[in-house]
Amino acid sequence: MPGGGRCPDCGSTELVEDSHYSQSQLVCSDCGCVVTEGVLTTTFTDEGNLREVTYSRSTGESEQVSRSQQRGLRRVRDLCRVLQLPSTFEDTAIAYYQQAYQHSGIRAARLQKKEVLVGCCVLITCRQHNWPLTMGTICALLYADMDVFSGTYMQIVKLLGLDVPSLCLADLVKTYCSSFKLFQASPSVPAKYVEDKDKMLSRTLQLVELANETWLVTGRHPLPVITAATFLAWQSLQPSDRLTCSLARFCKLANVDLPYPAASRLQELLAILLRMAEQLAWLQVLKLDKRSVVKHIGDLLQHRHMLVRMAFQDGTAETEDQEKEQQGQRQEQRHGEEEVDSSLDLPKGKRPASPALLLPPCMLKPPKRIRPILPISTVTGDENISDSEIEQYLRTPQEVRDFERAQAASHASTSVPNPP
Amino acid sequence: MTPMTPLSECSGIVPQIQNIVSTVNLACRLDLKKIALHAKNAEYNPKRFAAVIMRIREPRTTALIFSSGKMVCTGAKSEEQSRLAARKYARVVQKLGFPARFLDFKIQNMVGSCDVRFSIRLEGLVLTHQQFSSYEPELFPGLIYRMVKPRIVLLIFVSGKVVLTGKF
Repeated sequence: MPGGGRCPDCGSTELVEDSHYSQSQLVCSDCGCVVTEGVLTTTFTDEGNLREVTYSRSTGESEQVSRSQQRGLRRVRDLCRVLQLPSTFEDTAIAYYQQAYQHSGIRAARLQKKEVLVGCCVLITCRQHNWPLTMGTICALLYADMDVFSGTYMQIVKLLGLDVPSLCLADLVKTYCSSFKLFQASPSVPAKYVEDKDKMLSRTLQLVELANETWLVTGRHPLPVITAATFLAWQSLQPSDRLTCSLARFCKLANVDLPYPAASRLQELLAILLRMAEQLAWLQVLKLDKRSVVKHIGDLLQHRHMLVRMAFQDGTAETEDQEKEQQGQRQEQRHGEEEVDSSLDLPKGKRPASPALLLPPCMLKPPKRIRPILPISTVTGDENISDSEIEQYLRTPQEVRDFERAQAASHASTSVPNPP
Repeated sequence: MTPMTPLSECSGIVPQIQNIVSTVNLACRLDLKKIALHAKNAEYNPKRFAAVIMRIREPRTTALIFSSGKMVCTGAKSEEQSRLAARKYARVVQKLGFPARFLDFKIQNMVGSCDVRFSIRLEGLVLTHQQFSSYEPELFPGLIYRMVKPRIVLLIFVSGKVVLTGKF
């Protein structure tokens, strides 16, 4: 036995390492004397190579598809089938899910996030094929929270470095409008409310195009605009019977959820149509309001390009001029425009209203808060800090005592045990 | 690469700084309970957050002071103001009896805003600058533009208001 060990009994150097059960022993091969006994116990570091390896650190994870991933892939397939997507979409979505799973952040994520990831992969696939699927639909199908969905979606787009095109508005109009249950008479839908699908679709598309051109769509959720446009299109196709129907009732009849901003979009769209109507001589004399203008939507849409150009002036040139003047003057001009509107009650000849600004609604409303212009700071960062300035933030000893007493009193009152 | 604007075409619009986040190391362990007891402008809820939240009036800022001695200072409108504010917080901690120093002061993040004064077609911008833009109107009304050089993230809104933020 190398190492220079000698048996204490016979002096032999022939020492052999022998394991008696689990205990290693150094035994003299000549006389059988046990020279040293190994420790029965081993330290944590000794057993480094014998310890169990967690699954996440083993190589098994990358060698086989984990059960969690298999479940996720099954969910992707199910979702694609529920949405009746073409089979090529399924393969792409599966590929994205597998790609996402390569990243440790996704592998170790909560089940809720993995569930939402299923929706994200399907959504990205649909967007890349211009299939109009909204995030709202996916969240509803997965019973997922929109906040979790948005976080996971932004993360996965960044992680996989994907280019996701925007939602195609025209396609969304077609699919969304087709979901309205107004094309056949039923117990809940009287005959006068039933409409031809193609007519309604084409008119809705024109209205949405108009909304897009007049800054009602940029920066806003697309769906409420389409809801408002569909409602106006439907009303205008048979105004005599349908003007009495409200937006809320319309959505209920059509068995579609009414998105909250749709009412506001409707008002904005009607305002745009009214401005366009002011440019047509034969409509000027009719003194239209937001209800009566619906009857003329057909005509207005037919000439929409020309009317928009006539009714509105480019907002850019206008705002640049105004910024050179005071705020007050802008207010004055707006009041001026309102005066011109009210002058339509007494038509002074055929002069149309002065062109309004074609700007997003957020730029037309007066600012809620005027941003304070801070004076230019001359702070260098190295100024002297006076003691008195710092002391104003410190409690005097008396104040400290009072504060402690008050704290003790409040703790005592909140933790008073119930009397036996 | 982001298409660069030649210097001759610069608009002259200067963003206004809205917030600066800086950190400094006070290099001593702190007793947060003692700080919360002796300082009037401090709040400390250990169950909610493991740091003292302290505020000073001039420059109007907020500081998060951790027991390790590290401090985060937010709310200043310029780098110099941020440094002055951080020094004032350090002085407060010193006056409370701790051997606070002022090591490794570093500006971590700056946020600015400006107005380009014209409306912006975000859907057009996302088409022409696809690799840098992210515009999801279903989630957020603004377009997120990640500029490569300089490394700045811009939030661009339809009204022409722009928020710029950059980490160092």
